[in-house]
Amino acid sequence: MAMKASVLGDDTLLSRLDRALYRLEQFFGLISGLAVFGLMLLAVYSVGGRNLMNQPVRGYVDWIEVIMPLIAISGIAYAQRDGGHIRMDILVGKLRGRALWIAEFISTLLIFMLIVLLIWGSWAHFQRSFDINAPLFSRDSTIDIKLPIWPAKLLVPVAFSVLGLRLVLQLWAYGRAIRTGSAEPVAVPLVEDVAAIAAREASAVSGREDR
Amino acid sequence: ATEWNVSLWGKRRAFTEHVEKLAELVSAKTNGEFTMNISYGGLSKNTENLDGISIGAFEMAQFCAGYHADKNPSITVLELPFLGVTTLEQEWDVSMMVYNHPATVADLARWNAILLMPSPLPQYNIAGAGEPPLTLGDFQGLTVRATGGIGEALTLIGAVPTSVTSEEARQALDSGIVRTVAFAPHAHMSFGITEAAKWWTSNLNPGTVNCPIVVNSDAMAALSDSHREALMSSLEEAKRHYLDFYENETMSKWWPLLEEKGIQQITYDEALLAEFREKAAGPVAQKWIADNAARGLPAQELYDAVVAFLNSGS
Amino acid sequence: MDPIDIGIYVSLGLLVMVVLGMRVAFAAALAGLIGLIWIFWDKRDYDWAQLGWAITVATKTAGQVPHSKVASQALSLIPTFILIGYLAYYAGLTRALFEAAKRWIAWVPGGLAVSTVFATAGFAAVSGASVATSAVFARIAIPEMVENNYNKKFAAGVVAAAGTLASLIPPSAILVIYAIIVEQDVGKLLLAGFIPGAFSALIYTLIIIGIAVVFKSVGPPITGFTWRQRFASLPPALPIVAVVVIIIFFVYNPFGDAWGTPTEGGAIGAFIVFLMAVWRGMRWPELKSALLETAKLTVMIFTIIWGVLIYVRFLGFADLPGAFSDWITSLEMSPMLILICILLAYAVLGMFMDAIGMLLLTLPVVYPAVMALNGGETVTAEASTFGMSGTMCAIWFGILVVKMAEFCLITPPIGLNCFVVAGVRDDLSVQDVFKGVTPFFIADGITIALLVAFPMIVLWLPMMAAG
Ligand code: NA
Ligand code: NA
Repeated sequence: MAMKASVLGDDTLLSRLDRALYRLEQFFGLISGLAVFGLMLLAVYSVGGRNLMNQPVRGYVDWIEVIMPLIAISGIAYAQRDGGHIRMDILVGKLRGRALWIAEFISTLLIFMLIVLLIWGSWAHFQRSFDINAPLFSRDSTIDIKLPIWPAKLLVPVAFSVLGLRLVLQLWAYGRAIRTGSAEPVAVPLVEDVAAIAAREASAVSGREDR
Repeated sequence: ATEWNVSLWGKRRAFTEHVEKLAELVSAKTNGEFTMNISYGGLSKNTENLDGISIGAFEMAQFCAGYHADKNPSITVLELPFLGVTTLEQEWDVSMMVYNHPATVADLARWNAILLMPSPLPQYNIAGAGEPPLTLGDFQGLTVRATGGIGEALTLIGAVPTSVTSEEARQALDSGIVRTVAFAPHAHMSFGITEAAKWWTSNLNPGTVNCPIVVNSDAMAALSDSHREALMSSLEEAKRHYLDFYENETMSKWWPLLEEKGIQQITYDEALLAEFREKAAGPVAQKWIADNAARGLPAQELYDAVVAFLNSGS
Repeated sequence: MDPIDIGIYVSLGLLVMVVLGMRVAFAAALAGLIGLIWIFWDKRDYDWAQLGWAITVATKTAGQVPHSKVASQALSLIPTFILIGYLAYYAGLTRALFEAAKRWIAWVPGGLAVSTVFATAGFAAVSGASVATSAVFARIAIPEMVENNYNKKFAAGVVAAAGTLASLIPPSAILVIYAIIVEQDVGKLLLAGFIPGAFSALIYTLIIIGIAVVFKSVGPPITGFTWRQRFASLPPALPIVAVVVIIIFFVYNPFGDAWGTPTEGGAIGAFIVFLMAVWRGMRWPELKSALLETAKLTVMIFTIIWGVLIYVRFLGFADLPGAFSDWITSLEMSPMLILICILLAYAVLGMFMDAIGMLLLTLPVVYPAVMALNGGETVTAEASTFGMSGTMCAIWFGILVVKMAEFCLITPPIGLNCFVVAGVRDDLSVQDVFKGVTPFFIADGITIALLVAFPMIVLWLPMMAAG
């Protein structure tokens, strides 16, 4: 399933900020993809080491635990930018114009409030694992080879902060759409009927067949 | 009325009986005014129980020191190999001695936590399916699921600790990821190792893990005198209940199970054990002392206190 | 207030947010966070001076979940399975499979449709996601069927339905998610999906042949391939077989001393498909887009996972699952009837909801109830209600629930597979695809009924593996 952007652009400040942030978000997304690739290589190395050289990788599970947050969380703003987080849009899909933008504004505002709190909560989670005076700054370590956990925990508030920026931009864009009443505002994923979304998903996996 | 939430994990078992007993006693002594609501895994992930205590999300919890040595360096002294603990009661008492040491109290105070009592486990021993290691040389390249000080000790005689969670231990053994698993008897049974194992070392006794029960210090301070009295006066009976339960319910199942499954008991002679200790005990302890002194812990003092306590035969 | 009441109000609030179109992951996380604040404040008797404390504790509790719940070895299967699917596509494995299936079995009535089911089942053995599978085969299989005078709506229905096989036949992202939520062995669950998946494919095949025999115009057989042509079609599809064999070796250990865990098996499979794709001409631009697509789908799934788990953490404090399972077990109804009602409720819910979101939201409450109905997690087969041990009941219910979730991918009004197929084909409307897929409702109904009536279809393999 691919979720390609249906986000319009123009030369307003809002739209330029949108595209600038999108580059940052794609960078985080690519980190996540590369981490999946790294996870695959790590497993190949681990299995090969164990079966071919009788030399298992020490701390294989520890490394997975450190890599997983990178895979699972760093691309969160990337997905939000393109409207990739799933929802039920039977009701929202029926709205048009200002009513739609007001609904979107409210739900984005709720998400924004949630994310602000979670930045605080996940930062506190990081802080409990970090000690400036300790060796490797570590106050929490993995079970087997005692890798410090704080870098993986720090990634969460960082990724959430990028998402926070994205949400602020979206609030701004929806706010402007409410004011202007535009049918096709920039910098936000547009609600389409599900069939159009499906068409994009299908085209993302079938691009190669077309050549 | 005071209600404490208690965060444990897994299922009710020998390892949690002292908490269950404590809850029962406290409630009875206070006519239901002070109750404990025990949750098995609903309130937190087991490696984050100390975080939950620190936050104040729940009032009491259990955790194991080896899950996250950097969170609680002081208690990991009790997970050093070959300390020479022989009974569960001795394990309980030496744990309490360490828990009451000022360095430990300060270590746990960083988490807003007060150590209440241990959950002593007998010595770990290894079980496996292939050829049993009969000499120290047989440990060379032997993959073993072991953590903490036990893993460190086995490394020094050439074994390769391979980390899988306790839930995955059985599958790791079946699939050949590890050839052996180190657990206490109740865990060998509850994680199904006894279904797959062909042998078990009865006296390798490399060490054990230390899993205390902690209380949030604000919650403790907020208790009325009578409630605190009800709690503290119940510890001794909870201890008795735990030790009896482990002896009578768990170990009484263990020996017949070994018979029934035809699991061979590997008993090492004193010369081999002495050589193992020689190779492993000293170096691991020295490394522990150096590492933890670097974190500002009076590591030598803690280690000496443990050794002295155990040598005094108390 | 009773924590259970708080649990019910917050759950209703969550439902309202989801229905009103808030993104499921964030709605669940917000409900969980508000619920936690409420529970903690309730504990301090709604004292205004304590509200700040309640918010702090709730926020810090919720703030642990995103990191701690995704940092898991078992969950690392999900991104790997997703990556395999995208790489297999770039390796050209899908077209090779369809070609081989066509040459070998298209001579039966409805032959191309049957070939589609077989090729999809084969692709399902390397792909972990249904929707992607339907999208791929809509491109490959529908044009051939239309060229050979197959009914277009029927052809579209075949592809939409066959895509659902990807989530039963291992590897399967949704089965891994189920295993994580209910804390069961991932390997056993994946293993258990194999026969029901093959069984579903068989029922689809029978339905297709039946329709093709009765309505000759629906799908004529395709004949005329020589044996040489047949054998020539096999080598390009071979990598799939290699991957399947590897996954079998890693996940099921048929010969005792095997090679590793399911996690590793998935990764090795992905690596082989990766090498294959490179050999077939995949370079950095294609790899980059495969990685970005993998990242996007992965982060979407994981956001739902941690979002819902914040809500689940709140449920733990409210003890709602315990209360619900007490209620279910106290009902004066036959346990089998209760189970069927639960499955029907999933059918209704699934008409409107995404499969993964639906499972994540409901299982924390429903699963303990079903286990309690059977007699508990540790019950033996003899003492149980459904005649199977606690572990086996968890597996059986998992396969039933996943099959229901897959069924929902082809039912109106929100059947994502049908939308995907309609999206690929400009000449087909969503209504057309829903019409074409109708026979497969019957097939799925039969399959589910048989899985409920004869649990051994699900449990035979895992029981063999358990020895
Ligand atoms: Na699959
Ligand atoms: Na549906």
